[in-house]
Amino acid sequence: MHTTEPIVTGASVLGIQCVDGVVLGCDTLASYGSLARFQRVRRIVQPGADWVLGGGGEYSDLQEVARLLETMVTREYCQEDGVVRAPRAVHRYLARVMYQRRSRLDPLFNSLVLAGRGRFLGVVDMYGTAFESHVVATGFGSLLALPLLRKAWRPDMRMEEGAACVEHCLRVLFYRDCRALSSVQLARVPAEGAIEVSEPYELGELQWHVAQTVA
Amino acid sequence: MDRPLSHSSFLPPLFSSAPHPLSPPHSVPHPSAAPSVNAAERPARWSPYQDNGGTVVALAGRDYAIVAADTRFSVSFSIPTREFTKITQLTDRVVLASAGMGADRQYLHKMLHTRLAMYRHQHQRDMSLPAAAQMLSNTLYSRRFFPIYAFNVLGGIDSATGEGFVYGYDAIGSHEQLKVVCSGSGQAIVQPVLDQQFSGRQRYSVPDAERAPSLTLEQATALVRDAFASATERDIHTGDALEMWQITAAGVRQTRYELRKD
Amino acid sequence: MFQSRSEYDRGVNTFSPEGRLFQVEYALEAIKLGSTAVGVQTAEGVVIAVEKRIPSPLVEPRSIEKIVEVDVHAGAALSGLTADARTLIEHARREAQNHRFHYDEPMPVESIARAVCDLALRFGESGEGGDDDDGDDNDKNEGDGEDDERSGPRLSRPFGVALLIAGWDENGPALYTTDPSGTCIHWGAKAIGAGSEAAQNALQEQYRRDMRLAEAEVLALRVLRQVMEEKLNAHNVEVAAVTRTVDHARVGQFQLYSTERVKACVARLPETETATS
Repeated sequence: MHTTEPIVTGASVLGIQCVDGVVLGCDTLASYGSLARFQRVRRIVQPGADWVLGGGGEYSDLQEVARLLETMVTREYCQEDGVVRAPRAVHRYLARVMYQRRSRLDPLFNSLVLAGRGRFLGVVDMYGTAFESHVVATGFGSLLALPLLRKAWRPDMRMEEGAACVEHCLRVLFYRDCRALSSVQLARVPAEGAIEVSEPYELGELQWHVAQTVA
Repeated sequence: MDRPLSHSSFLPPLFSSAPHPLSPPHSVPHPSAAPSVNAAERPARWSPYQDNGGTVVALAGRDYAIVAADTRFSVSFSIPTREFTKITQLTDRVVLASAGMGADRQYLHKMLHTRLAMYRHQHQRDMSLPAAAQMLSNTLYSRRFFPIYAFNVLGGIDSATGEGFVYGYDAIGSHEQLKVVCSGSGQAIVQPVLDQQFSGRQRYSVPDAERAPSLTLEQATALVRDAFASATERDIHTGDALEMWQITAAGVRQTRYELRKD
Repeated sequence: MFQSRSEYDRGVNTFSPEGRLFQVEYALEAIKLGSTAVGVQTAEGVVIAVEKRIPSPLVEPRSIEKIVEVDVHAGAALSGLTADARTLIEHARREAQNHRFHYDEPMPVESIARAVCDLALRFGESGEGGDDDDGDDNDKNEGDGEDDERSGPRLSRPFGVALLIAGWDENGPALYTTDPSGTCIHWGAKAIGAGSEAAQNALQEQYRRDMRLAEAEVLALRVLRQVMEEKLNAHNVEVAAVTRTVDHARVGQFQLYSTERVKACVARLPETETATS
């Protein structure tokens, strides 16, 4: 059975590379068509110690990818030699997985963002295209948030600033993207040190009063 | 016996237009996976192909070859990244550039590099330009019925004489040895200019004797830069930056020039 | 010594405690029963010459084929069980054509010799019939068109034949030998077969790297004449050479000498051998 169209979907994932690490962000909604079906799902997962994965698109496929990576990390652990794949290696591996699935005409309907130690930020799409970039936005975010992120990005940006920028973009997406939610998750991946994936939290101080002036 | 063939009867369920049994009611497709804004824009059935645009050029003179490509990676009207290289160096004397689909290009380049390594191990030498050209053709043709969506231009110099040659390809391996070739989204803009300026065709204002291609490496470099600047003006899938590889007997040199980013 | 040999020479894939593969060594012995073949490499080309043993005056000499073309630019002289050579030569020819198909260029002579050696050790008793599990270093591309050969039954014993491979590739003229142990060596001049020991000594004394091709022809035939039982003539030897093509292409041209041409070469031989100069 092939996935011919996504059924339960997650929306945008955003990422930004800062001098001291990478920030990843997305909301926690898995939609069923236009229905906001599952509102507290985690779309950022951390199977390994050195990297996190954020994903949009078909939620079940995202779970499959996460399972795949968890198995990979478990195998690494069982080797007991302390050798683990670097974020870039995981990124290229994901590209091969996605490309192989699309070549079987049985794609995983996802856009994946990988953030890792050493300021790694890369994307893989459902066709197996893989690239690294300073700023990343998938889904609707590639239209709404990517220009904002590109404008805000500076080579000397720090992670607090990057997180604020990602949060701002998530807010814009919540205002404008009908499949976005105000409940979001951020992951902070410092160049060195422990990765921190936040619990889902609400974007505060949302303003809808302009809505009343729009007829 | 002459029953008219129903096209849809040959298509596997994947390609049927019936709604998916699990589809949500009044499902409005969301662009999270395939980022097209309008629901109507999304193709009825999923295609394994994507056109990521981009323009690639290769041209060759008596003692050099140039392979050039822009670095824009586009998906319809979006630009997910402005830094996506289309060029890979195959040997000290051979460089390949591919337009078309990004994922297929990455796969193809990887594949070629493993084959080059195997050749190097087996024969204790680098593949020559004609050998690489033939191998690329065979590699593409091996996927005749599920083509690698990449439009290649291969450039290099002859290992014995040092003369530059380029090869142009279609997606399934048809190829031709040339002196100048362009492929990709800006082909229609760039190729005629190169034909006229580089190959010297139709330059009736110039005496016959001077029409033969005789550009120096510097002149050719300037021509390629102008060609890409022009393509960037009118082709939305070309732009951001130009990567250029100059191949001479002295080795390969890579340079980069900025292009318009709008 | 021979006691242990009798125990360890049954299986083709069994080492003796001294670390020897007797079946392979026996195969090397089989070469020493074969007719002598001589190869001489010069800057102008490579000459190969073989003794043809004509068992009866009723045999048509031309039907005994000891020198074969592998590709336009390479040929091989055989010594040993010539029937076994057919498999090796067919393999070499296929590899050479595959190389042309994949890379639009003639196969390097060394690679041809290696391709033969790859096959030389692909024998054994495994019942699976030679599926591609032997880690041979030969699978360059999928779709090589070799599958038929690989999946076919493999020979259960070593090949009892040695080849002298002469060729001319982009690196110039080259002379290689292959033997049943899969060893592949580049030589200036080399003799294989029954009279190889005496012939190799003669070559060692008389071969010079700066020889002309015509001198090489004479040397090869003189050395053969020394070790042959019969009197050498244009009908009981075969001669071939790989030389530069007329248009000075990057690779040479293999050419089997006609009887007339061999006659002409024989005519140039000195009347008597001056007791190994």
